Amino acid sequence: MTDTVLETQGLTKYFGSRMVLDNMTVKIPRGCICGFVGRNGSGKTTAIKLLLGLLKPTAGSSKLLGCDSQQLSPQIRQRVGYVSEGHRLIRWMSIAEIARFQSAFFPGQWDGKFFREMIEYFGLSKKQKIKHLSTGERAQVSLALALAPNPELLVMDDPTLGLDAAIRRQFLEGMIRLIMQQGRTILFSSHILGDVERVADRILVIDKGAIRVDCSLEQFRNAVKKVRFVFSQPPPAKINIEGLLRFKTSEKELELVLVGTGEEKIAEWAKSAGAMDYQPVNMNLEDQFIEYTAPAGQTKLFSWEGI
Amino acid sequence: MALWIQITPGSDEPIYVQIVEQVGEAIAKGQIIAGDKLPAVRKLAAELVINPNTVARAYTILEQSGLVTTKTGSGTFVADPKLRCKDATDVNILCERIDTLIARSLNLGLEPEDIISMFKARLAKFSKTKKPER
Repeated sequence: MTDTVLETQGLTKYFGSRMVLDNMTVKIPRGCICGFVGRNGSGKTTAIKLLLGLLKPTAGSSKLLGCDSQQLSPQIRQRVGYVSEGHRLIRWMSIAEIARFQSAFFPGQWDGKFFREMIEYFGLSKKQKIKHLSTGERAQVSLALALAPNPELLVMDDPTLGLDAAIRRQFLEGMIRLIMQQGRTILFSSHILGDVERVADRILVIDKGAIRVDCSLEQFRNAVKKVRFVFSQPPPAKINIEGLLRFKTSEKELELVLVGTGEEKIAEWAKSAGAMDYQPVNMNLEDQFIEYTAPAGQTKLFSWEGI
Repeated sequence: MALWIQITPGSDEPIYVQIVEQVGEAIAKGQIIAGDKLPAVRKLAAELVINPNTVARAYTILEQSGLVTTKTGSGTFVADPKLRCKDATDVNILCERIDTLIARSLNLGLEPEDIISMFKARLAKFSKTKKPER
């Protein structure tokens, strides 16, 4: 099954005169875990709310499980799980009450036994009131509520924000458990790229409201490269190479950040520019993300020269 | 089975590459031998808390390089060494890597005999750790 579970077409949102989402066009295939990354205020939450029909777009449209986000029927909604940012749950309810409340939205698919097992595993009691729980415990209840209906599509808005390593791992385990079941899809936003790398096989990068990357994680890992060239004289001032994102020159060195540039193209350019030698600089996913989303010519906050 | 895979997210090596290299090393060291079964994709994914597609990707690469074979329905097994193909390009790449190492060793001021004995000592680490008889 490679059908599309989530798609947007020119999705755009303004808050007053401020543009927060700019012409978002993406397709997310069934069966993947898609990590949605972008800096604070880049438009992730707005995009997620638009997808779920919780906000109206200024222009464009989106579809969830083949149905327009603005006209989701209860039948479609019950196939979708949503974990909102900050795990906002109804405060005055007990865990048992909130489970009963939530289960009503998922008739015939709520796994009460699984929910109770998770709550027990977390060392919580169903009689505890939400308002008396700690941040981590509230997140755990929220995770159990999201997994109990066994949703076909699970959307989570920065679910691990502010959580300790152990609870974060429980969220990742939860995602893996869900994806092991046939035909499930997960979209989650996060700032922790190590988590994204662990569980995601697809990546969406958003920057200042615009989608910059929509591909498999492996493609992104392979595409963004940093190469250091060594010259016998000052490096050329004009750099004409396919896929150039940014460059940094020092006396006899040149560092290029490239996107999608093949090995042969790099070798060719090195030769034509008269480089003595060149070698790739190792980058992890976080380095790649920072390089990719940094404003032109800037990756570091301070100038470290002369230290 | 003496196969413990550990992954490090945030490394400059993608997770699937880490798995490929660790399985490759376990085979080279004799920790797992021809006919041994690798953990099932879903089991390893659950254990390592990683996407099952990442494990599947690693297994595909291992299969393409001839180190393992997949039998539909029964799993992935370490391949018979005789059946492993020795790709000419792979051998060439390996020779280039050895050249780099030799150049570095010579630059450190090592004599050719030193380099050979170092190489032999490291090699012994691989052939020594044969799997006990079952």
